[in-house]
Amino acid sequence: MSDTGQRRGPFASRTVLVVWLVGVLAALGVTWRTHYVADLSAFLPSTPSAEQAVLLDQLRSGVAARLLLIGIEGGTREARSKASVQLARSLRQSGAFEAVHNGDKSEFESTGKFLFEHRYLLSPAVDAQRFSVEGLRAGIDEATSLLGTPAGAMIKPVILRDPTGETLRMAESMLPTQGPRSDGGVWVSRNADRAVLIATTQAQGADLDAQERSLQSVRDSFAPFAAQGLRLVLSGSGTFAVASRAQIKSEVERLAIAGGLAIVGILLLAFGGSLRTLFSALLPVGSGVLAGIAAVSLVFGNVHGITLGFGTTLIGEAVDYAIYYLIQARCVPGLAPGSGARKWLVDSWPTVRLGLLTSVCGFAALLFSGFPGLAQLGLFSMAGLAAAALTTRCIFPLLAPDGAPGVGLRRHLGRLVGRCTEVLPRARWPLAAIVVLAAAALVGLPSAWRGSLSSLSPVSAEKMKIDEDLRADVGATDSGTLVAVSAPDEAGVLAQAEAAGARLDRLVESGVINGYESPARILPSPGLQQRRRDALPDAATLSAHLNQATLDGPLPARRLGGFIDDVQAARRQPLLTLDSLKGSPLAPVLGAQILPGDATRPWRALLSLQAGSQGTDVARLRAALADLPGTQVVNIGSELGALYARYLHEATLQALLGALAVCVLLLLHLRSWQRLWRIAQPMGGAVLIVLAVMTASGVALGILHLVGLLLSVAIGSNYALFFDQIRMQQQALPDGAATVIDTDTLASLALANLTAVTSFCLLAFSSIPALFAVGQVVAPGILLSLLLSAAFIPLPRR
Amino acid sequence: MMPIRPTLHSPMRRTDRRAALARLGAGGLAALLLPLRAQTAFGLPQLTQLLSQAKSGEASFTETRTVSILEQTLKSSGRLSFAAPDTFVRETLKPRQEKVAVVGNKVTLSSGSRSRTVPLDSVPEAAVIMEAIRGTLTGNRELLERHFGATVSGNAQRWTLELVPLESRLQELVKSVQLTGQQALVREVVVAMADGDRSVMSIEPVTPSAKPASAAN
Repeated sequence: MSDTGQRRGPFASRTVLVVWLVGVLAALGVTWRTHYVADLSAFLPSTPSAEQAVLLDQLRSGVAARLLLIGIEGGTREARSKASVQLARSLRQSGAFEAVHNGDKSEFESTGKFLFEHRYLLSPAVDAQRFSVEGLRAGIDEATSLLGTPAGAMIKPVILRDPTGETLRMAESMLPTQGPRSDGGVWVSRNADRAVLIATTQAQGADLDAQERSLQSVRDSFAPFAAQGLRLVLSGSGTFAVASRAQIKSEVERLAIAGGLAIVGILLLAFGGSLRTLFSALLPVGSGVLAGIAAVSLVFGNVHGITLGFGTTLIGEAVDYAIYYLIQARCVPGLAPGSGARKWLVDSWPTVRLGLLTSVCGFAALLFSGFPGLAQLGLFSMAGLAAAALTTRCIFPLLAPDGAPGVGLRRHLGRLVGRCTEVLPRARWPLAAIVVLAAAALVGLPSAWRGSLSSLSPVSAEKMKIDEDLRADVGATDSGTLVAVSAPDEAGVLAQAEAAGARLDRLVESGVINGYESPARILPSPGLQQRRRDALPDAATLSAHLNQATLDGPLPARRLGGFIDDVQAARRQPLLTLDSLKGSPLAPVLGAQILPGDATRPWRALLSLQAGSQGTDVARLRAALADLPGTQVVNIGSELGALYARYLHEATLQALLGALAVCVLLLLHLRSWQRLWRIAQPMGGAVLIVLAVMTASGVALGILHLVGLLLSVAIGSNYALFFDQIRMQQQALPDGAATVIDTDTLASLALANLTAVTSFCLLAFSSIPALFAVGQVVAPGILLSLLLSAAFIPLPRR
Repeated sequence: MMPIRPTLHSPMRRTDRRAALARLGAGGLAALLLPLRAQTAFGLPQLTQLLSQAKSGEASFTETRTVSILEQTLKSSGRLSFAAPDTFVRETLKPRQEKVAVVGNKVTLSSGSRSRTVPLDSVPEAAVIMEAIRGTLTGNRELLERHFGATVSGNAQRWTLELVPLESRLQELVKSVQLTGQQALVREVVVAMADGDRSVMSIEPVTPSAKPASAAN
C-alpha cells in the first residue's frame, strides 16, 4: 500500500484513468436507458403470504390499478350530462381505454343482445325444474307481473321470446347492488352535482408512461367542456402513480440543484474559490450517483423514484471522501511535490476504507430485504459509496497529487474544530448523561414505530378525499374484505367461486354480510353452464309443458313459438369462456375479479363483500368458508397493516444485523475491544438521542427513519474513525514529543459534516414523506455524531 | 298549475305585478288566491298540507292492470304501509308473494326467497312511481314538484292529483300518475304508461284494529 502512485509509470496511470472513464461512460449509458418507476409496489414484499399475494396481484396488475375515476363538476345539470355522454364517446373512440362507463344505457345495447342470446346459459334460474309445467307457470307469472309498470319496460319487448323472465334474473344477479345514482341518463353523485364516469385504461397500471398518455387523452377530450366552465376531476391509482412520479421527479431535481448549489458554495468558500478543486470534489459524487443508478438498474431492471431521491443524499456523503482527500493530502512543506497523495494513502485511506466498509456492511443488510424497494436503496448506497471512494482513491492521486491548493475557510474551520475538541471532552459527562436520559426515555415512552405503508405514499390527504368521494359516487367502495379463491385453471377458479358463493348466499340470508360480487355471476363455470344446457328440454317436451302451464294464463302458448325456438338454439350453443367474452363490456368487469394464472401462480378470483350493518364478522366468514380448498378471506386493511409490520420488523432485524456486522468488521480491523467501544459510543449516543427526541415529539417512525438511522451511522462512523485515527497517531508519538493536533484532518471532518448536514437539511424540507423522513433523521444524527465523537474520543493533550 | 290568473283581480301596479309574477311559485300563487277564493281554493299546497298530517298509514289494495300484450288483465292484491318521512312498503300477497320496501334511498325487492337491495336513485325508471306515491302519501310537495308537473282538482272531500313526469326520459315511459283521494287518504292510484298500458290500484284504509283481518287474506 505504501508504494502506490509513486512507482506507477505513466502507462499505469493512464490505464487507471481509462478504466475509470470507461466505467463512468458505461454507467452513464445504463443510466440513460434506465426505466424509472414510482408505484409503491416496489415497497411490497417479494415473498408474500397467500393473503398478501392476493393483495399484491391486485395492486400490481389488477384492474384496480387501471381504474380511472372521472368527475365532471360545475355548470348546469344538462351541461354535465351532455359532457359525460360526449366525453365517454370520445374516450371510447380514442382506443386508450378498455372500457368507459357513464351509466348511458345506449352503450350497452350490444352487451344486452349478447346476454339475451346466452340467457339460458347465464340465468341463475335455469335448471330442469324451470322447464316443468310448474316451473314454467311460476316463471311466466313472475315475469308478467312486472308488465304494465316501469320496471317491466325492459322485458315487455322480449316477453314472447323470454316469458320466464331469464333476462331479468340475469340482470338481477349481474347488476351491482350499489349502483350509482342515475340522472339525465348518466351517472351522477348522490347529491347530483357531479357527473361521474369510470374508465379502465388499456395500459397496465405499472406502465406509467402509458398511464400518463391515457390521462392526457382524457384532459384533451375534456378541453371543449372546460371552455364551457365545467371542471374535470380525475382520480384512481394511475393518477396517483403518475402524479407521484412527477412530484418525485421535480422534487429530486429541485433537491439535486439546491443541494448541488449549497455544496458548491461551501466548497468554493472552503477551498478559496478554486474551480479546479470544486470540479475534483464533485467527481466522486457524480461517479457515485451514476454507479448507484447503473447498479440498481442492472440488477432490478428499473429504478424507483424514491431510490433516486435517496441518491441525492449521496451527494452529502460522497463529497466527504473528496473533502477528506483534498484537505488531508495537502503537501507538507518541505517534502517533494506529489508526496501528499502518498501520505494520504498511508495515513488516511485505511480509515476512509474502513468507513466505507462499515457503510457497505450496514447497507448490505438492506440488500437481503424481501422488499425490492428497500433492497434498491441498499444496493444504490453500496455501489454509490464504493464508486465514490474508489474514484477518490484511484483518480485523485493522479488529478491532484497534493490535495487542494486553496486555503479559504479551512484554517478557520480547523481552528474551530480544534477548539471544539478542547471544549467538548470536558462536557462528556453531561453529554453521557443526556444519552442515558435518551435511552431511559426510549424505554419509558410508548414505541413510536407506528408508521404505515401509506406514509410512504406522497399522495395528499386532499387527493385521497377526492378519490374516496368519487368511489362512493360510483359505488366502488367496498367493505375492504375479499374472498379470494384459487385453482389451477379458469374452469376451476369459476367453480371455486361458485362454491364460495353458495356459502356466501347463506351469510347474506342470515345478515352477516349484505351481499357480494362474484365473477361466477357473470360467467358461470363451464360445469354449471353445461348443467343448464343439459336441463333444456327438446321442442316437443317444452311445447307440451308450455301448453299446460299457460292454460288460463295471460300469455297463450301459441304466441310463444319464439321461446321454443330460442331454447332449441340454446341447446346447441357452445359454452362461454373468458375468451369468448373478450371485447364485450363484461370483459373488464371480469378482469377486475379474475386474475389469470400462469406456470408460476394459480388462477385467482376475487369476491368482494358488502359489509353487513354491523361491519363484517370476519371470524364467521372464515368459519363459513373454512373447509373450501383454495379459499381465503382477505381483509385489506389488516393485511396492509400486517404487511407493513412485517416490513418494519424485517428492516429492523436487518438494521440490527447490519450494526452487528459493522461491529464485527471494526473489531477485526482494530483488534481492540477498547477502540471498538470508543467508536461505538458516539454512534450509539447519536442514534439514541435522535430516536428519543423524535419519539418524544410524537413522530410516527417508519422504514425510512430506520434507513435514515443506518445512513447516519454509516456517515457518522467516519468521524469517529478519524478521531480514533488522530488519537492513535498522537499516542504513537514518542513520549515528550510535542503533540501537534492535525487541524487539517479536523477541518476536513468539519467541512464534510457541514456539507452532509446541509444536504440532509434540504431533504428535511421535502414534501415527499420518504425523503422528509430520511432528512429528518440524518441531519441531526450526523451532526451529533461529530460532536459526540469529539466529546467521547478525546485527543491526548499535554 | 292551477288555471287561475290572480293578477287580473289584483289592484297592484304593473311593476309590482311583474315583480310578484317573478316570484310566483305555487306557494305565492296560492297565497295570493287565498283571500280571494278562500272557500273553494284547493291546490297542491292545501293538498300536501292535508296529506302531511298523516304520519303513517296502513291500507289494503287491489290492483288491476291492463297490458296490451297480454290477453287478460292482471289482478293482484296486498297491503300498503307508509311512515313519514320516507318509508313505503308495498306487499303483494296475491297472486304471489312479493314485496317492495323503500326506505330513504334504499329499495329492497323481495320475491319468494330472493331479495335484493338497490339504491332508488340508481333506477330512475322505477323511482318515478315510488316518488309519486311516497311524495303524495307524506305530503312532500317539494319532492313532487321536483319530479312532476302536478295538477290538483276537486276539493278536500274528493280531490284528484295528476302527476306528469318532468323529465323527457321518464315521459317516454310513464304518461301520468293520477291519484284520487278523500281528505288525507289516497283511495286510488292510476298509472298510465306511455305505451297505453294502465294500472288501477284501489286502496282501502285499514284501521289498526282491523289490521289482523286484512292481513289474514
